[in-house]
Amino acid sequence: MNQESIIRVQIEAPTLADLRAFADEVKPDLGCRATPKQKDGRFSVDAYLPETQLEIARRSRTANRVTIRVLENATAAGRERQKEVGAKNRFAVRGQVPRGLGRKE
Amino acid sequence: MPYLNVIEIESALQNLAAAYPATTELLEAPNLSHEGRQIHVLRIGTRGSDEVDGILILGGVHAREWVPPDALISLAADLLEAHKFGTGLGYGNKNFPANEIARILDSLNLFVCACANPDGRHYSQTNDPLWRKNRRPPPSTGNCVGVDINRNFDFLWDHLAKFAPDSGVSASEDPCDKNVYRGPSAASEPEVRNVVWLLDTLPRIRWHVDVHSAVPVILHSWGSDQNQTTEPDQTFLNGAFDGVRGRLNDRIYGEYIAPDDLEMVETLSRRMNDAVKAARGSDYGVEQAYGLYPTSGASDDYAFSRHFADPSKTKVYGFTVEAGDNFQPPWSEAEEVIREVSAGLIAFCLGTVGG
Repeated sequence: MNQESIIRVQIEAPTLADLRAFADEVKPDLGCRATPKQKDGRFSVDAYLPETQLEIARRSRTANRVTIRVLENATAAGRERQKEVGAKNRFAVRGQVPRGLGRKE
Repeated sequence: MPYLNVIEIESALQNLAAAYPATTELLEAPNLSHEGRQIHVLRIGTRGSDEVDGILILGGVHAREWVPPDALISLAADLLEAHKFGTGLGYGNKNFPANEIARILDSLNLFVCACANPDGRHYSQTNDPLWRKNRRPPPSTGNCVGVDINRNFDFLWDHLAKFAPDSGVSASEDPCDKNVYRGPSAASEPEVRNVVWLLDTLPRIRWHVDVHSAVPVILHSWGSDQNQTTEPDQTFLNGAFDGVRGRLNDRIYGEYIAPDDLEMVETLSRRMNDAVKAARGSDYGVEQAYGLYPTSGASDDYAFSRHFADPSKTKVYGFTVEAGDNFQPPWSEAEEVIREVSAGLIAFCLGTVGG
């Protein structure tokens, strides 16, 4: 339980090449699949960096071409979310049948 | 209702099978996880596995992505209840009338593997929340745990040999890589062999949707290089291109996809996205699975590649849904993601049957 905190950031760049150059240099965890989103002519991707590497990333050679915005402490958020995991077994009895979130209409 | 733990997922599948015997079959995957967990797959449909085409829907491959398994349990429960009582289903502003739900269950089989990686999910939910891999024990010469299941499939698995050194391919041969260790050999992992088993033993499966999070986006083939439709010799099978694959915007190699296959995957992806968007306005967008970097050993590419590697095997179109924008959103937000993904998957099912 003493892992270093992972910080979720959004990396934004004016071009895909800038985004890629930064990612090539810093090698952050780019989530499940590194799929940049384009909005208002800029490219962005979420990334996950250990807290100690965040400042190193900001001082990297290619950092002046990107904007790094901290979104959350993903480790702390995840620990909070662990409290929202079922503690027992809501379906331990065979007759307890799950119901979905769709409206039956 | 909070996130499901791994015991609840298994119990939920078993209880659904017991409650809806006329429209389900509980399949036991042949390989236990490294920590000894059994994985079940729920077939949903009124007809036998060999009578109608099937869709394999996978969730929970990456441990930290908590929403997809819950979404697939919810979807399964919705479809079974709606079919039994003759109702439609609604998600936000997207509605599916009863005849469409009936058409899905009467003309398709859905194979729902809600949590492919229960060991990893358990570890993420009880220890390191950002854990992604499975829980393969460390090799004898080290102490690092786990393999990225979605780099372990037998599709260009040996990324060092198959991709250009400067491609940035998203995979690692280092067992201590926290996220994308490919494993000691292709399909070395029991979770991967379970998926292979499903595709091998159920030849009527023609579509595979791997539900992940988060970007969000809907991805279609290929993930190995940018698609091209004019050079059929440029394929993952052609060793002449080993070592040059995967570069962004080069003119040396692009992964070949036949025009009609490309149209098929784009059309179904858009169909899914339209329904997601209708549910609550989220525009996931549709992209080729090659994003900022190429990928090796992923389930979607593996599923689609099988037919080209061995023409006797069914052509299976592969997709990945990256649902929502957070691995572990608050449960209230997770519910909204579940609704929009459910809408997308139902629309996808209808798209496969021309509905």
